[in-house]
Amino acid sequence: MSAPIRHPLDLAPDDLDRPFWEACQRHEFLLQRSSVTGRYHWPAVCDPESGRDGMEWVPASGRGTVHTFSIIHQVFRPELVDRVPYNVVVVELEEGPFFHSNVVDCPNEEIHIGMPVEVVFDDVSDEVTLPLFRPVGSGG
Amino acid sequence: MAELTNSRCAIVGVGVTQQGRGIGIGNRELRRQALDLALDDAGLRRPDIDGYIACHGTPGFEDLRYLGLAPHFSWGLASGGATAISALIAARGVLALEQASYVALCYGLAPSSLQLPAGIGGYGYGYPELFGMVGPSTSHALHAQRHMHLYGTTSEQLGAVAVTQRAYAVERPGTLGCGKPFTLDDHQRSRMICDPLRLLDCCRDTDGGVCLIVTTAERARDLRGQPVRMLGTGTGHSIRNWYDKSVYAHHDDIAPAKERAFAEAGIGIDAVDVAALYDPFTISVIMQLEDYGFCAPGEGGPFVAAGETGPNGRIPTNTGGGQLSGYYATGFTALVEALLQLRGQGGATQVPGAEVGLVSGHGGNGGVQNTWAHATALLGAGL
Repeated sequence: MSAPIRHPLDLAPDDLDRPFWEACQRHEFLLQRSSVTGRYHWPAVCDPESGRDGMEWVPASGRGTVHTFSIIHQVFRPELVDRVPYNVVVVELEEGPFFHSNVVDCPNEEIHIGMPVEVVFDDVSDEVTLPLFRPVGSGG
Repeated sequence: MAELTNSRCAIVGVGVTQQGRGIGIGNRELRRQALDLALDDAGLRRPDIDGYIACHGTPGFEDLRYLGLAPHFSWGLASGGATAISALIAARGVLALEQASYVALCYGLAPSSLQLPAGIGGYGYGYPELFGMVGPSTSHALHAQRHMHLYGTTSEQLGAVAVTQRAYAVERPGTLGCGKPFTLDDHQRSRMICDPLRLLDCCRDTDGGVCLIVTTAERARDLRGQPVRMLGTGTGHSIRNWYDKSVYAHHDDIAPAKERAFAEAGIGIDAVDVAALYDPFTISVIMQLEDYGFCAPGEGGPFVAAGETGPNGRIPTNTGGGQLSGYYATGFTALVEALLQLRGQGGATQVPGAEVGLVSGHGGNGGVQNTWAHATALLGAGL
């Protein structure tokens, strides 16, 4: 049984992050940046110092390192039964923000904190593209 | 500003129902049983209760009529495992401002009757769900993995938390672990849930009800129950840690909660006789021991492995088994244990002469994984 494809915005309280998910469909990785403080954020936020002023979606590197991770063995939901064991990682992006995702093109046993990774886009349906990460240099 | 003379408060009624897996009693009946136990404990009657705080994550719209209460207000307070202490703080405010005389904090939930397809373990928290990140065990595994990386904490040290607390529960009637000891080998052999967390690193949700009745210290003197006074309270929220990127290095934002609670109580960490730390997972205990200052950062694993949270250790912790081996009453587990200890009702695991207890709670997501509220309460025996 494979996981049902959910649109990311179905999991959000509103559509403030729509530009990010639409960019993913174009295989572009965006972050929010405050032009006042220069700080990057994800997802859509007010900067704790400058608020909503000057907040814009900008292209980002899509690169970072694994900050922490877990290998999931438990089937927490029936639709995940075919995925275990699978990894969940928190990527610390070069621009600063954390991003939850999965690492692909790498055995779970080789995932480690500090591992350099880069974004790769997974077109799971016509409407949904998810940003996943792979070890830097593993892609062709 | 005039001094709030009624800010000195005490917990005068404690009601704890049967706690366990699938006990077959519904949500409101659990609250009713807890309320009646607390009223009886305090020597109060229903009409005395003029403030009600529903502590089970909903506004409690249907509670009052079933419970037969007629308070001036009924509030729902929802901050996950921080709800219990947060409600204590709210009750203090209400009493200090003379909005009520006796406030009932009522919790009662039967997760086994919630009919969630995957129980609490399958909760989703927004976008991380897209990547298969569901449930609180995954978010705590991220803490554990990072802690191991930073400090060399081991699975055996996590296991020491589980084994220590199980040993307490073995001697505590009514807990999940009562009469069922396990060893570190059992822990190491238990199956992996979310690496590095094994089955015996995780607590289970249980059914049960708890009611606490809070009043001013002055009124408490006239009651027959055994009062426990509030020495100090504080809060912190780890959304702050998200902003400064220390969210995985700290379990919670304990610093401001601790500072406020200890400053108000006018005591230091050395004055604490017994700790009751919110413990959904073993890593939670290790990281809180560090952030409260019972040991240095990174020393939590060796500290527990050396027996320092056991009966003869420096700080007996979760002396009823905690959530890991006792029961899961969403933040009330720890609070109840501290109250029992400070009343001298800890039975076989009573800490001799316990006069000051530290209680913590956390929960209520801040919009991203691993951000939640933290609340601290310092409690003292008697008035």
